[in-house]
Amino acid sequence: MDIPTVDKILGKFPEVKGNLIGILHEVQNHFHYLPEEELRYISKKTRIPITQIYSIINFYNRFSLKPKGENEICVCLGTACHVKGAEKVLDAISGNLNIQKGESTDDMRFSLEEVRCIGACSLAPAVVINEETYGQVSPKQVTTILKQYE
Amino acid sequence: MATMVNLTINGKEIQAPEGMTVLEAAKREGVFIPTLCYHEALEPEGTCRLCIVEVSGSLRHAIRVSCIQEVKEGLVVETETERIKKNRRLIIELLLGRSPYSKELLDLAARCGVVTSRFRTGEDDACVRCGRCVRVCRDQIGAYALCWVNRGYDRKITTDFERLSEYCIGCGSCAQVCPTGAIKIEDRGDERKIYTWGQVLARFKLEKCKECGRPFAPKKYLDRINEKAYKTKGLELVDYICPECVKKAEHRPTPVKTPFGGGGMPFVV
Ligand code: SF4
Ligand code: FES
Repeated sequence: MDIPTVDKILGKFPEVKGNLIGILHEVQNHFHYLPEEELRYISKKTRIPITQIYSIINFYNRFSLKPKGENEICVCLGTACHVKGAEKVLDAISGNLNIQKGESTDDMRFSLEEVRCIGACSLAPAVVINEETYGQVSPKQVTTILKQYE
Repeated sequence: MATMVNLTINGKEIQAPEGMTVLEAAKREGVFIPTLCYHEALEPEGTCRLCIVEVSGSLRHAIRVSCIQEVKEGLVVETETERIKKNRRLIIELLLGRSPYSKELLDLAARCGVVTSRFRTGEDDACVRCGRCVRVCRDQIGAYALCWVNRGYDRKITTDFERLSEYCIGCGSCAQVCPTGAIKIEDRGDERKIYTWGQVLARFKLEKCKECGRPFAPKKYLDRINEKAYKTKGLELVDYICPECVKKAEHRPTPVKTPFGGGGMPFVV
């Protein structure tokens, strides 16, 4: 368990009330998922019952209890992206990395997720990798884009 | 004294204290409104929608959920309009979708004229997602052993990480308040099990009654009673005696000190 990291994150939030989601975001960003031991530690420190934390994590798709790859690829399958062929982009990425949506590569370099509308419909079909958004992605560009992260 | 407000329920003018819910006010007047997630001992959450009523007067004419709608000066409430009856029947049908055998629900269905449900799912887990169990565990017992996970159709009650709960004290209040029997408590020999349709929530070894030797309650639960009910009064329980022996002991001249006081109601800590 990585207590110093969690303590550092908790330190950024002097007021726990109303900040649990913020705390969870930071923990997720650091570990690429929400590890159970760390969550139990947070529960003890913040005196928020673990069941409530668990409930919140299950409510939001952004949070994951399973380890995710270092680079998180999110393919938008919202209406606009869907119409513009996002499915094909998803297939191309899936084929390139040899993983299905919801999975991570064995070396934990990448994980693949589908999302519903990221609000970038004018860029459809859109793909987000970590914080970077790629617009009007064609299946052909997939290899080039992924290269940057290898 | 609380300020009183004037309102009308089914044509009858009544008074109710400010802050009271429409449901409570109606109950006081003997007006029946079907409910499922409502429970006197719990904070209302308005999840089952069965208690809908039609309001007008000082509020915009609409259907409201009476267990969370507070009374208001000049409010006009109707509980049995055609519109309400129709919507209520639909809600019952939806609730029956997953809980077709619950006695409480079937009684309500019969009372409201619902015979079948168009929404049978085939996944009869009996749970109507009323949240009574979660609320009693959180607000009354303070154990926080139960929680909700997932959304929509997949929403269900469980424990943290969906494993045997460390926080459950084995009091059985969840099973006690569940209107459909979706959570069950079972004592077999000296073991207690609390479980739902798909998960064992907690397991306990039962302590034996000092008088009759019958295993009757988990240690964690007795400890909690000790802490909440006795230690605060400077007392401490050493010997555990089951409710049955308590009842017998009450007829004796020197009452014994027991975790359950005089009553046989083991659920109120
Ligand atoms: S298990 Fe029972 S009390 Fe809990 S939500 Fe389901 S129906 Fe309600
Ligand atoms: S009793 Fe009011 S919504 Fe369930």
